[in-house]
Amino acid sequence: MRLVAVNRAAALIGLIPGMMLADARARHPALLTLPHQPEGDALLLERLAHRMRRFTPMVASDPPDGLLLDITGCAHLFGGEAELTAQAIALTGLTTRHALAENAAAARALVRYGGDADVMALPVTALELDERATVALRRAGLTTLGELARRPMAALAARLGEAAVLRLRQIIGDADSPIAPLRRLPMPREEMRFAEPLGRIEDALEATEELLVRLVRQLEQRGEGLRRLALALYRSDGQIRQLSVETGLPSRDPALLIRLLRERIDTLTDPLDPGFGFDMIRIAAPRREGLTAQQQPLGGAKAQGQESLAHLLDRLATRWGAESVLRLHPHDSHIPERGQYLAPAQQAPPSLWPSRPDAAPRPLWLFEPPQPVTAMAEVPDGPPQRFRWRGQVHEVRLAEGPERIAGEWWRRREGHRPGHGGLTRDYYRIEDSSGRRYWLFRHGLYDETPHPRWYLHGLFA
Amino acid sequence: MRFDQTALLAPARLHEIHGDEPDRAAMLHFALAAAGARSHGPILLLRVPQHRQDGMAYGEGLRELGIDPARLVLIELRDTLALLRAGVDAARCTGIAAVLIESRGTAREYDLTASRRLTLAAEASALCVLMLRVSAPERPSAAQTRWRISAAPSAPLAANAPGPPAIHAELLRQRSGPAGQHWRLEWDAEHGCFIEAALPGAVVSLPALRKGMEGGTSAIARAA
Repeated sequence: MRLVAVNRAAALIGLIPGMMLADARARHPALLTLPHQPEGDALLLERLAHRMRRFTPMVASDPPDGLLLDITGCAHLFGGEAELTAQAIALTGLTTRHALAENAAAARALVRYGGDADVMALPVTALELDERATVALRRAGLTTLGELARRPMAALAARLGEAAVLRLRQIIGDADSPIAPLRRLPMPREEMRFAEPLGRIEDALEATEELLVRLVRQLEQRGEGLRRLALALYRSDGQIRQLSVETGLPSRDPALLIRLLRERIDTLTDPLDPGFGFDMIRIAAPRREGLTAQQQPLGGAKAQGQESLAHLLDRLATRWGAESVLRLHPHDSHIPERGQYLAPAQQAPPSLWPSRPDAAPRPLWLFEPPQPVTAMAEVPDGPPQRFRWRGQVHEVRLAEGPERIAGEWWRRREGHRPGHGGLTRDYYRIEDSSGRRYWLFRHGLYDETPHPRWYLHGLFA
Repeated sequence: MRFDQTALLAPARLHEIHGDEPDRAAMLHFALAAAGARSHGPILLLRVPQHRQDGMAYGEGLRELGIDPARLVLIELRDTLALLRAGVDAARCTGIAAVLIESRGTAREYDLTASRRLTLAAEASALCVLMLRVSAPERPSAAQTRWRISAAPSAPLAANAPGPPAIHAELLRQRSGPAGQHWRLEWDAEHGCFIEAALPGAVVSLPALRKGMEGGTSAIARAA
């Protein structure tokens, strides 16, 4: 394992990137290391590049750790090149090195291999040639780019190859070195203005449908479907009314989206009031996902059935709220109430529940929080003989247990010390005289607490 | 003997299941068994949660009944009218295995018209719609069958442990068919279905009786 990057303190004691981890630890035993995450670094670089777009539209990333900004014509807006550079460095929030030059290749070479503004003084390693060529150049006595540039280009091309000569010419400034700027696609939006303000909501919805058809065409070109649609209705007196609908699956169907919008309008507590009329309508698709054009399968039924459930869930969620349509998801915990959680069905697809072949029996219905009951057991560590729940006394006929579930001691402060790990539960599967089956537990063993309490956690089928 | 639930709870129809509040789990079990056996699609359970301590379905428990918890979609609504409207919408959806609607108490909005709408929706999409009426009085409706389900004492296993889940099922009403039968059903976890099982301890073993007759003791043989 090798070091990829070091901080200033590490550099001061002599650690450099490329050193073996064992050697580095030998020098400084208390070295703090973190695993290298190239994808995370790339994502951060992309985000920084987008942030730099406030200075210039021509920003390119120079992986793994550089950015190229073309500030021709932009510097005066920020008070000069030095000021722009200072602002850009402050915006990144990281320790940086920078260099300014007349072309991109020179700037890149200066920041990585040199320091002064003089391109000619750069070492020949700035050309980034392979090992053999660099050694050959050193043996020939050529150490800086200035010396190389004085030689005839044809001879250099014969020795080092066309690519090296091109790179040299780019750094010097004889050849162009364009950069490919980052481009972010704007959010698809459509708007429509009316000479005569629309007085009725129906007319506004018809106009929205027309706008949706246009928006869908934009999405088709990008190969995307929308997950959230935002509608803004501008009244002629200046008030703006905004609505949004969400779908579980990406969609490009105007009819479906209009239906969801109508459901949303129906459920508004504060009805849409056109006032003197709407004079502009805007729609946008803030959240999108890739959606390729789908061919209807010949067999038809199953694929349509899947879509139909998603549409129904979208409609129910739009009408009654996203928190009304829920799915169960598993969670890795041996505490029963933490073993699952409910999440809105629109936000996450169904999870795969892991199979547990030798699991202890679990109830069909769970009470959260567990309901307190008063129980009487004939022996301290045994199942209860009878218990009282919601005012009714139940005589226990059959019982199975105990299943001992200890608390999650690792989550507690000082939990590893005896007595601080949380109370242990002893679960019993109880059947009463009328045949109903319950899941009771005693919260705490008799040597943990003097008076442990009993709770009903669930009902079995 | 296997209890043929799919024959009695026919698809493309509405079925009502009545029961008391403490037997909710048994009613849910019966309904889920009918829903889950048919196909492997999603199951929608619509409820009106009364209060936060009402509880929720537990995934591991569902899996023990042979139903993948990922199939269940829970829809929680604020009152009975919303419940019935959402129920009709859900019943029209294709591609799902069954719709279970749970109502509590005297749901006044669930009348003949509402049940007729549910039946029409079920017929259109050919799926089974089960209406779980917890502590509700029986009311005339367009349902194909009406059941009363309650939990039954199970046959104990070794060391006095509760045996496989057992329920009493009574067919109160069936449209164009016989009604009034009782069953005591036991859950067979291996095959994932109900079997008709007699009450435990009801059978008297014949050899013990014969011995009593020959040996001359007048004591009635104890049940096996």
